[in-house]
Amino acid sequence: METKNIRVFFSKTGRAVYISHLDLYRLFQRAIKRAKLPIWETEGFNPHVYITFALPLALGTAGLCESMDTKLTEDISTDELVQRFNDALPRDIRVLSAAEPVRKATEIALSEYEAEFDCDSEAFTKFLSAEHIPAEKKTKRGIAELDLKQHLNVLEQRPGYLRFSFPSGAEFNINAGLLFDAFEKISGTEIYSLHITRTAIKCSDGKIFG
Amino acid sequence: MYKDKLDRILLKVQKPSRYIGGELNSIEKDPEKVTMRFAFCFPDTYDIGMSHLGMKILYSLINSVPEYWCERVFMPLPDMEEQMRKNDILLYGLESLEPIRNCDFIGFTLQYELSFSNILAMLDLAGLPVYAKDREALTPIVCAGGPCVCNSEPIADFVDICILGEGEEINLELMRLLEQCKAEGVSKHEFLVRAAQIEGIYVPSLYDVQYNEDCTIKSIIPLEGAPAKVRKRIIADFDSVYYPETFVVPFSEIVHDRAVVEVLRGCIRGCRFCQAGYFYRPFREKSVDTIKKETVSVCETTGYDEVSLTSLSTSDHSEIEKMLACLADYSDAARVNLSLPSMRIDRFSEELLDRIKSVRKSGLTFAPEAGTQRLRDVINKNITEENIMNGCRIAFEGGYTAVKLYFMLGLPTETMEDIEGIAELCQRIIDLYYSLPSRPKGKGIKISVSLSTFIPKPFTPFQFEPQPTEDVIKERQKHLMEVVNTKKVQVSRSHFDVTHLEAALARGDRRLSAVIYAAWKKGCKLDGWTEYYHYDKWLEAFSECGIDPSFYVNRQRSYDEILPWDHMDLLIDKSFFVRENKRAHEAQTTPNCREKCSGCGVSRCIGRACFPNG
Repeated sequence: METKNIRVFFSKTGRAVYISHLDLYRLFQRAIKRAKLPIWETEGFNPHVYITFALPLALGTAGLCESMDTKLTEDISTDELVQRFNDALPRDIRVLSAAEPVRKATEIALSEYEAEFDCDSEAFTKFLSAEHIPAEKKTKRGIAELDLKQHLNVLEQRPGYLRFSFPSGAEFNINAGLLFDAFEKISGTEIYSLHITRTAIKCSDGKIFG
Repeated sequence: MYKDKLDRILLKVQKPSRYIGGELNSIEKDPEKVTMRFAFCFPDTYDIGMSHLGMKILYSLINSVPEYWCERVFMPLPDMEEQMRKNDILLYGLESLEPIRNCDFIGFTLQYELSFSNILAMLDLAGLPVYAKDREALTPIVCAGGPCVCNSEPIADFVDICILGEGEEINLELMRLLEQCKAEGVSKHEFLVRAAQIEGIYVPSLYDVQYNEDCTIKSIIPLEGAPAKVRKRIIADFDSVYYPETFVVPFSEIVHDRAVVEVLRGCIRGCRFCQAGYFYRPFREKSVDTIKKETVSVCETTGYDEVSLTSLSTSDHSEIEKMLACLADYSDAARVNLSLPSMRIDRFSEELLDRIKSVRKSGLTFAPEAGTQRLRDVINKNITEENIMNGCRIAFEGGYTAVKLYFMLGLPTETMEDIEGIAELCQRIIDLYYSLPSRPKGKGIKISVSLSTFIPKPFTPFQFEPQPTEDVIKERQKHLMEVVNTKKVQVSRSHFDVTHLEAALARGDRRLSAVIYAAWKKGCKLDGWTEYYHYDKWLEAFSECGIDPSFYVNRQRSYDEILPWDHMDLLIDKSFFVRENKRAHEAQTTPNCREKCSGCGVSRCIGRACFPNG
């Protein structure tokens, strides 16, 4: 049969948030081998299963809508695919669904996040309402200064909780953790606990990346 | 449980996934429903410890008992230790993320002497007193196993129990005894007295060691019914011994990131420097069917694409060809690479080369160990120059252009001629390469010489021998660098500082507990890591305790001296080691066990010949 493109959506939570992007790649390769899934292998000197991730997730951040693209060499029902993946994956990585890709990874424009944290609420509100939020972003070319405020879109805020979005994608991406690093630096106070979860990935037209 | 606290610190440390557990095939149980908890500690980092086969076996074994729970514990690197201390996080198990001091057993596996200081560091991080006498409660019981337990005297003051030999049966026996003692509410002392009755259990506190004026040992007296000799435990039927169906698969890359199947245990060779060769006697192997079954199971459940057939000398399996043919059928179909470490150069053939070539063609490693035939006979390596040349020829004709050769420096009876022999041997290999019409075209040859320093170990024929002094070792190293005059040969050598400490600890007695304590107090830990090793602090520790390391390192022992490990019975007669030592000095070889029984004593202990024709 012709190969069939498939996009696998999964969550990465709990203990799995500390798995780096490179390690996640190996983890899925092994899971595919264990599950004996009919995944297309690259040709050439050193064949390996073809998988690619639409958008990397920062170390320490959980994700509920992560996705991986691959190619099937045999027809297999979505239910079976999901089941076999989940039997072969560690507990804190769960495949949620799979479908033929609709949008291209290059169309990704932003990510929405939920953060639960424990810090001085007043200081945090003051921090968010400032005109500029300067931060440093590590890039391939070194450290770049940027103003987070320009890119931040707060969707919901209450003490210890923030729902917000940042630009995402291959062109320009802001790690959600930068906001909280900036808070600690600017306010001089400490965040005692912090859990960030990516809850949605959206395209430039505002629609969910699917 | 520390999950929330860890979430606060893990982004501040390198490679955080190694500190959080939750890997595929790791085992979590309900703490309410288990009766015994065992914290299996590997006294080095996750990346090293997770590569260790013994831990995988015993982890799965203990967890196969529904009401017992075994967790994995490793030594954190300094960045993590700093965060743990700052945030009041005690050393925890990777499965429960709970402090290990609440476990019933804290068990260390001792693979190398340089991990001794990590035992203290880990006990301290766990919030426990490092001295056994200061831990008064029945639990946790701190125990130690692994090859270094054949002389555990240097750590005698820190551990409650040592487990001598193979743990597959004895660990569960020990756990059942503690379970019973807990129910009866007996004291720790009473438990230890009872445990000492189990074959293979050594309780250091139940032995009184007296010294002569010259610091040699006068007597070792067992107390309260403890056996005069602690007899090593072995698995009688190795083919049916417990082997895990699966391994925990780490998230991050570790040192040996592959499936492993143990094909045989013990070694027939009798190299006179090699402790493992005697520690793991008798030689036992698994059947090809068992090896195949275990290979398939471990590969299928882990998803690894490489499986290593491991042992002290895999090519000595009596059915190596049949084994490889049988495994190749599976590995080709499943797209799994076979790797064969520990191959002897004299067992190397075109066929074996074909098998391993499919994996990768990076380089081959052989271990002649000594540069001249005379010295190879002294150490009973039983490899001839012809074997070496033949092995290299097969490798070169098979397309290899690089070989790595292991040598030891400082071996008993070694002279400068033997050092020069290393360079000459390398030159003859180079000449061989260029004489072969079928050598890889247009490519030069590269020989990497890895030069370690001989360390005399207990339970070897060389246990009586001195290690040469610093001056001698450095002079010989220097000489080798001078006589190697081609860029085709690259020499790497071990650091004297590290081998010196290892040599002292390997043959140390109980008085070294004080030295280890003092060194640890000065900040020594992770001694196996060049960047954390502080030789100067160790020397200070020795000096403050009034102990001269050269007493342990550079002293010739007489055959009748009471050695610190004489109350351990590895099923090998001391008279055998004496006999072998004498033969070494006459450059007389001893045939391998399969060829002819050398009468070491093991076959008498197990009540049968080690080999059918023996």
